[in-house]
Amino acid sequence: MMNCEDYRQQIAADPAFDGGAGHLSACAECQAFRFEMQSLNVKIARAMQLDVPDLNIPELATIDQANVVPLAARAQLSKPAWFAVAATVMLAAVIGFRMFGFGVSYDSLAEEVLAHLDHEPYSLRVSDKPVTNARLAKVVPANIAQMDHNAGLITYAQSCVINGKTVPHLVIQGEHGPVTILLMAEENVGMAEALDGENIHGVILPVGTGSIAIIGARDENLERIEKSVVNSVMWST
Amino acid sequence: MNSSSAEADRRRRFDRIVAVFHPDMYRYAAWLSRDKSIAEDVVQEALLRAWKSLDALRDDDAAKPWLLTIVRRENARYFERRRLETVDIDNLTASQAALLAEAPNEELAELREAIFELDDDYREPLVLQVLMGYSTTEIGELMGLKQGAVLTRLHRARLKLKDNVAREERS
Repeated sequence: MMNCEDYRQQIAADPAFDGGAGHLSACAECQAFRFEMQSLNVKIARAMQLDVPDLNIPELATIDQANVVPLAARAQLSKPAWFAVAATVMLAAVIGFRMFGFGVSYDSLAEEVLAHLDHEPYSLRVSDKPVTNARLAKVVPANIAQMDHNAGLITYAQSCVINGKTVPHLVIQGEHGPVTILLMAEENVGMAEALDGENIHGVILPVGTGSIAIIGARDENLERIEKSVVNSVMWST
Repeated sequence: MNSSSAEADRRRRFDRIVAVFHPDMYRYAAWLSRDKSIAEDVVQEALLRAWKSLDALRDDDAAKPWLLTIVRRENARYFERRRLETVDIDNLTASQAALLAEAPNEELAELREAIFELDDDYREPLVLQVLMGYSTTEIGELMGLKQGAVLTRLHRARLKLKDNVAREERS
């Protein structure tokens, strides 16, 4: 079994380290250290998010990023689309809370979720290449959910920050393109919240004390994915 | 396929990759150089090299590490050419200070400054892991380090930042 020094070296080197469970369960100090490192990591990620200037390469003709569609098969969520979506989300107005992440404030969880899709457009690529089980286990620790490729072909797995909390961000290949899944163990939404945009639709589902966001192309039937994902989730809280 | 059509396809492919990865390239360059102007120069040079050697990229899924490797080399070339001195946190140029000034609040500004002050050996693997999502194995491959060395650097980097945060909270 690991000792405190070994465990803390591992968790300080990689806050997503999920080994040493035997030691962790018996050591309150290491539990506190782990929490401290994971909280610090979220702050580091925010601090590193520098503003990016417009691209300017005089030697090449101007690259018009606004007209680039990252994926041929992706129903790209344009800025006007997600602003429109934000306007249609009901819960935000009721709760009226604000979130802060990467220097941008959001009026609701739904708005931040949708904006996040635009932060990571490369996640939404059509692919038949699954992420490795090791990668999946790293991003989705066993104490959050038991995810495997039975839920769908998972082609992207990344730890992201939503509303200041680290959240597993997965992409499953649906029948009409990539489907985004955000497992938000600490976001209690109370009731299901529909997301409806020009090219996409989705839902934020309350699951236990947390919630899960599922967003896909307009034509995608999300019910099957919702069932398999919800059945696989087992929050630790 | 005629040559103009092939060239248009090539250009579309390049534009698509750049549109997706330009923010990562810039942020990586900015944290390597700790200078806004240098980062923009490095990214421009890197993109020109990427355009010239685009055909060497067989699989677009590998575009991100391919581009970041080019950025890393361009950054090294830039500093070889200019023989720039190390950054003095108390005597920053306007371009260096600009990176720190963009922080959205005081807490993040202090942490950003602490990251800024980390030695290159500690700052780079931390950026690759936290911002770019690299595994320790991938960081080792990019930086030419064994995994143990990567883990040590990451561990020390975080402890330095943790101490810095604690110091700021006390003061």
